[in-house]
Amino acid sequence: MLEIKGLSKSFGGIRAVSDCTLELRDYTIAGLIGPNGSGKTTLFNLITGSLPLDRGEIYFEGKRIDGRLPHEVAWEGIIRTFQLTRIFPKMTVLENMLLAPPHQTGENFWSLWFKRRRIRNEEKEHLEKALELIDRVGLSHLKNQFAENLSYGQQKLLELVRVVMAEPKIILLDEPTAGINPSMIRRMMELILKIKMSGKVFFIIEHNMDVIIELCDWVFVLDNGEKIAEGKPKEIQNNPRVIEAYLGV
Amino acid sequence: MDLFLHLCVMIFIYIIFAMSLNLEVGYTGLFNFGHVAFFGIGAYTSALLTLQRVPFELSLLIALAMAGLWGFFISIPSLKLRGDYFGIVTLGFGEIIRMVFQNEVWLTKGPMGLPGIPKPVLFTYQFGTLPQYLLLTFGFAAITFLILRIILRSPFGRVLKAIREDEVAAETLGKNVFFFRIKSFVIGSLFAGLAGTLWGHYTTFISPGDFTLLETILVLLIVVLGGKGTQWGPVLGAFVLIFFQESLRFLRLPAEWTRYLAPLQQMIFGGLLIVLMIFRPEGLLKEKGRVSNAGN
Amino acid sequence: MDFLFQSILNGILAGCIYALFAMGLTLIYGVLNFVNFAHGELIMWGAYFLYFLMGKPFRLPLPIALIPALLLTIILGIGMDRFVFKPLRTANRLTLLIAALGLSFLLRNGAQLLWGAELRTYGFEIKRGLRILGISITLNQVAIILTSIFCIVFVYLLFHRSRLGKSMRAVSDNLELARVVGIDSKHTIQFAWVIASVLAGVGGILLALDTNLQPGMGLINLVKAFAATLLGGVGNIWGALLGGIIIGLAENLGVLVISPGYKDAIAFGIMVLLLLIRPSVLLGRLE
Repeated sequence: MLEIKGLSKSFGGIRAVSDCTLELRDYTIAGLIGPNGSGKTTLFNLITGSLPLDRGEIYFEGKRIDGRLPHEVAWEGIIRTFQLTRIFPKMTVLENMLLAPPHQTGENFWSLWFKRRRIRNEEKEHLEKALELIDRVGLSHLKNQFAENLSYGQQKLLELVRVVMAEPKIILLDEPTAGINPSMIRRMMELILKIKMSGKVFFIIEHNMDVIIELCDWVFVLDNGEKIAEGKPKEIQNNPRVIEAYLGV
Repeated sequence: MDLFLHLCVMIFIYIIFAMSLNLEVGYTGLFNFGHVAFFGIGAYTSALLTLQRVPFELSLLIALAMAGLWGFFISIPSLKLRGDYFGIVTLGFGEIIRMVFQNEVWLTKGPMGLPGIPKPVLFTYQFGTLPQYLLLTFGFAAITFLILRIILRSPFGRVLKAIREDEVAAETLGKNVFFFRIKSFVIGSLFAGLAGTLWGHYTTFISPGDFTLLETILVLLIVVLGGKGTQWGPVLGAFVLIFFQESLRFLRLPAEWTRYLAPLQQMIFGGLLIVLMIFRPEGLLKEKGRVSNAGN
Repeated sequence: MDFLFQSILNGILAGCIYALFAMGLTLIYGVLNFVNFAHGELIMWGAYFLYFLMGKPFRLPLPIALIPALLLTIILGIGMDRFVFKPLRTANRLTLLIAALGLSFLLRNGAQLLWGAELRTYGFEIKRGLRILGISITLNQVAIILTSIFCIVFVYLLFHRSRLGKSMRAVSDNLELARVVGIDSKHTIQFAWVIASVLAGVGGILLALDTNLQPGMGLINLVKAFAATLLGGVGNIWGALLGGIIIGLAENLGVLVISPGYKDAIAFGIMVLLLLIRPSVLLGRLE
């Protein structure tokens, strides 16, 4: 589904990502791990087009997507979250959700005047879906609150269900459990599994090995921008090269 | 009574002007500090055309088109820049337009200005007297308010807010941030041109000195005082500030004082902006969230 | 031909002054991460402070009045930071910029209140200058070039070779981290304002020496300073010099072909051109 070939990116003299090649198949939750600074978030940024790459190719469902602008990559169905949540602070939880669906008729300036009924219907549909999703994560009582008033854990949940609203084919999660308490982590994991069941593919950056082991079918390991290993979580755990990467800082 | 009518006309004109800036600054988060340029383009275009006996209906449309078009031209290169850089470019553009008004004497009569701008005639009805002009400006202000209301309460408006809040997040959710910003800027410029047109036909005499940084500061103050990012904020701000400004004009002061009055008043505006930003940046009316954006 | 060389000289002269403006602007940008919209007024007030001290009742000669004028400019710069920018250190960018714009408007009209809107000069007669290689250059202009070069070299050494310079760069890079490491950010910031104010003041005085003073001179020079910064690369000291000179030359050579009324617009035009062809700061890209 997602194929990366020989991806490289440098900043100044530093190689953030170095000749990286990997492939994600359908119906997977894939993990991306590695010590700090190994290039994981940079890899995500390259995939989504937020950063231009130096060398390499990225294919999604057979189509080449490197060099495309971020919003075009999103249209292909690749949606991401961020390490530090990027919810829209001075918009309500509901507004955050309603923004996400792609290609809304109401976002076209001319349609505002000539396609009012269609817009109304779309809004109603999206509203129903949004309310249901918010309810599933227990944020219903906060639906009209500005997102900035939510706790950090709640914001992370919001960011995730907002992604679902964006009708993604593959979801890139950047450290979804960082900075939240254990019970919230559990909720997050359950949510991810539930979303997976509706056919979405996940690519997750994580530092929390428990989460990786429990969720992921396949794991890629980066160190210093290079892919040094890939395999099932248990295999990776015992891989000496991986252990060395984490310990030998 | 005349003073009251005059105040209302000015207030309605500035409501339009402020709402247009609010769309850009308050809703989309664009740091447009040269908004006066489009006010001026609207005023000069309509004035020049009607002075050539072009019917007002047509000259108004052309003035709007010019303002919108120039908004488009200046936004394409400038919106490649980050916020504060964009601010300087728009600030510069405001100054440049004023220079154009001043230097292209063959077109604008330069510093001498354009006198005798005719009163507008819409479909054979002439808005010659003060009450009639009040009707005209009120009508346009109401139309502008309604149009912008539809825009702002729609999914389109929602995207603008999202861009203001976090453009990276908006982009990664599939919104073409660049295009939305351009659209917002063009719409804002268009309505600024409308305000300028109405103003020019009201004062019947315009000159380059009418379109300076002072105008930008004034309209910016109106927007932030009233409450940016709200629909009624610019309305409230316009009432407060135009009332203040125009009342000062009618104060009877000894002649020696008048040369100090203008800079003093403008210092107050500048100081007010500073104080407002430090102590109450949201302004008088605070932003509220929306439940749904299905339109009216 | 002589005329061309004369224009080139004038261009380099103006360019040096613009370089000073750009350096001051970029210094504050570097340390505090925002474009000081009131920087033009710092320039303008620097020039007016000197005018003030040279006039009644002080009537100080220029060399004596220079230092107090710069001191006053420094006080203004530090005051700006203390009363307007410091309370807004954590505010969002738009709020900060609107406040800066308001400040610039306040200062501009303050000058107009005190000195009126008319053009003023320092009152030096145009002395006949030296003739070198067919172009004339006055003592004033020699002073301008020498002073500018001195300032530029000084700032470069300060920024790149001294400890203070290192702390300024650290603060600009990461304020929190700099504090943690023990760099006194408060004093570093103040020092940055001192330097920026001196650069602005010197630049303003030199400009006023070469041309004239009026309250509106701040705004257009802010735009030029910014254009120079953009040309040379934000945060780059030599870039500021290069950018300034390019703009100075473009202005003085440009008026040979276009109407002098648009001289001030040339810097703006260059900036727009640059933006159209340089794809660097793209939207949505994190770089």
